[in-house]
Amino acid sequence: MTQTILEANDVCYRYSKKSGNVLDHVSLRIDKGVKTAILGANGAGKSTLFSVLNALYKPDSGEVLYHGEPLSYRKRNILRMRSEVSILFQNPNDMLFRPNVEQDVAYGPENLKLPREEIQKRVDDALFAVGMSDFRKSPVMRLSYGQRKRVTLAGVLAMHPQVLIMDEPTAGLDPQMAYEVMEIAEQLCCNGVTVIMSSHDTNLTYSWADEIHVMQNGKCVYSGTPEGFYSDKIAVYQAGLLAPSAFLMNEGLSSIGVVSRDPFPRTQTEVSAKIADNKGGRFGTLHIMEIAPDSDINALVMDHGFGDLSTGIYGMSARRAQDTSKARIDFMYNGPENCTMKCMAGQDSLVLCDPVMVESAKKSAEFINNGGYGDIKVDVIRL
Amino acid sequence: MSNIFEMDNVTFAHHPTMPNVLDGFSIAVEEGSRTAILGANGAGKTTMFYTLAGVYKPQSGEVLFRGEPLDYSRDGLTRVRSEVAVVLQNPDEQMFCSLVEEDVAFGPLNLGIDRDEIETRIDKALRDVRMTEYRRSPLQQLSGGQRKRVAIAGALAVNPSVMIMDEPTAGLDPQASMEVLELAEKLHLQGVTVLISTHDIDLAYTWADSVNVLRNGKKVFSGTSEEFYSNQEEVHLCGLLSPSTFNMNREISALRGVPESPYPHNVSEFLSKFGKAGAGRVFCVACPEDRVCDIYDEAVREAGSGARIGVYGSDTRYGLSGKKIDYYFDGIDSCFTEAVLGRDSVLFYDPVYDPLIKERAGALKEFGSDIVLEEVR
Repeated sequence: MTQTILEANDVCYRYSKKSGNVLDHVSLRIDKGVKTAILGANGAGKSTLFSVLNALYKPDSGEVLYHGEPLSYRKRNILRMRSEVSILFQNPNDMLFRPNVEQDVAYGPENLKLPREEIQKRVDDALFAVGMSDFRKSPVMRLSYGQRKRVTLAGVLAMHPQVLIMDEPTAGLDPQMAYEVMEIAEQLCCNGVTVIMSSHDTNLTYSWADEIHVMQNGKCVYSGTPEGFYSDKIAVYQAGLLAPSAFLMNEGLSSIGVVSRDPFPRTQTEVSAKIADNKGGRFGTLHIMEIAPDSDINALVMDHGFGDLSTGIYGMSARRAQDTSKARIDFMYNGPENCTMKCMAGQDSLVLCDPVMVESAKKSAEFINNGGYGDIKVDVIRL
Repeated sequence: MSNIFEMDNVTFAHHPTMPNVLDGFSIAVEEGSRTAILGANGAGKTTMFYTLAGVYKPQSGEVLFRGEPLDYSRDGLTRVRSEVAVVLQNPDEQMFCSLVEEDVAFGPLNLGIDRDEIETRIDKALRDVRMTEYRRSPLQQLSGGQRKRVAIAGALAVNPSVMIMDEPTAGLDPQASMEVLELAEKLHLQGVTVLISTHDIDLAYTWADSVNVLRNGKKVFSGTSEEFYSNQEEVHLCGLLSPSTFNMNREISALRGVPESPYPHNVSEFLSKFGKAGAGRVFCVACPEDRVCDIYDEAVREAGSGARIGVYGSDTRYGLSGKKIDYYFDGIDSCFTEAVLGRDSVLFYDPVYDPLIKERAGALKEFGSDIVLEEVR
């Protein structure tokens, strides 16, 4: 059953009476748990839309519904709503205002009037998640742009939101940090959080999003699957976007009958598997081992005789455990993808995985098996 | 080719009590090259740019421009800055004027160029970044992406021989990023040395001749992209990931048992290597600015119905607005992809890109495709 969590209904918004509508009769629905990307050119209205969804701006006409109820803009109701719907702005400098890192991250939870220990734990977890544990006491002013961006992310994570809106979360981050942010987004989705994200990186959103909404000149011109949109070249051009390269490669090859058009590969691994056409090959087993934050990875790996396998890591609890055990990891980034490729090449591999992310870790292998591009055995080792 | 810039064992810290941002740093940049600067946040990329441009003076070590040590006197710096333009990551840090045209004129005015020449340069620079209609707009009213383009125009107006761009595509939408890339190619073809730092590894992989990788204030690699990305451990230590095209090539080559080389850098080369090496025709039409539209009908007729139509270069794109176009951006790769798939296409482009098209076609042949370039006059 899909359940709509946020909805904009014929929303118009402008910054001043003299200017035109920045949002021009926008209607869109965001369903609970659906990974949603908002795309559009610079100035299309994405950030304004986010501010309207988060009740920072009140629409001039139309309404915003949260859990089916029109937003009330009374202070008390807004505060309650914002404790559940968090927004991560593009520019971290718009969000940081306390002198040191841990104080800044604690700001949101303190406002929720949580007990002291709970706040401590949330700050701890959030700073670990963004790799900033060592900077707890650092003055925010001393941090680089990328570090500040991570601290603001920690701040919204510590709120434990039900809906997280992220405006260009990877812009300005180096590739590894950008990957980490995407893994965190995936983890949140697995934990039941609805994540809404805008990004100019079309390849990145294509590999992540279930559904996209495209903004153009203040209007929402498309809602649906990414492929439905990218198939319409004129619409893509008019929206100021470009189709992702995985989509273009698949379109090119399927147009001359080298591969079938369906299923659409969205990740690097899926493209590789589909094009490599390795039907007669040998395939390895993808071992996915659930890891708790206090698991002893070295002992578990030895017990199962996995010491020689290529090993990837995926998800927060596994990263926590790895941090303590200092276990050898081959793939700190893109663990499931890299391990799946090992299986394509006939080798067994191991993903050390947060229990909530097992389904997500299986995805590429399932794409390959269901499409008939390979036969990878998936073996999940429960905690 | 000689080196336009060299840094030799340079050390720089913002303050004596603070750690070195550049730490025994050496680099050589070849004149006329397309050089990408890669590295994690905080690796020292931006500081390196400032040091090259003479904004920061190193505590030790030397910066050489055209083989001469940088002269930090007022005159010396003016001389360097008349040749070296820097576009900062955050455009707001380099804009002080209230109107677009004033801001673009700022650099040339400081170099003492006469008013008529400056007018011509403003026109040209704003056209190159497609901001002509905003010439008299207040900067305050522009979006972040538009301000970035104005900053680029300001750098172009100096007519630099070295163009340094720090994260030029960050925050830009995909089409605007493609325009920046086209601009970088144009500068390269005009003999300008172009240095770009970027976190977009896919973009750097498509564009650069050579990459320089920074880690903790040191340059740890310079050479070809492939050489760097083949060393996965080093990539990891540098805070980077390898580009998806590079990864897919490695994976598919291994599964098919074919050599990794040649390394595809774009969709047409990739499909040529792993799909089908077709031999479609690409009708190449270099468009003189004033007659774009007349040429369009003729060329499309010659190519026959069904041929897809691509564009490369902002003058041509602007001139053909309203006409039927299939590939408004990345026209070269798109038309070449059509050819690889065995279909004909027409490519309209600004004449300045002629050598780039030949270069790309030459590269594509290495992947087995026998595409045919038909020049239409």
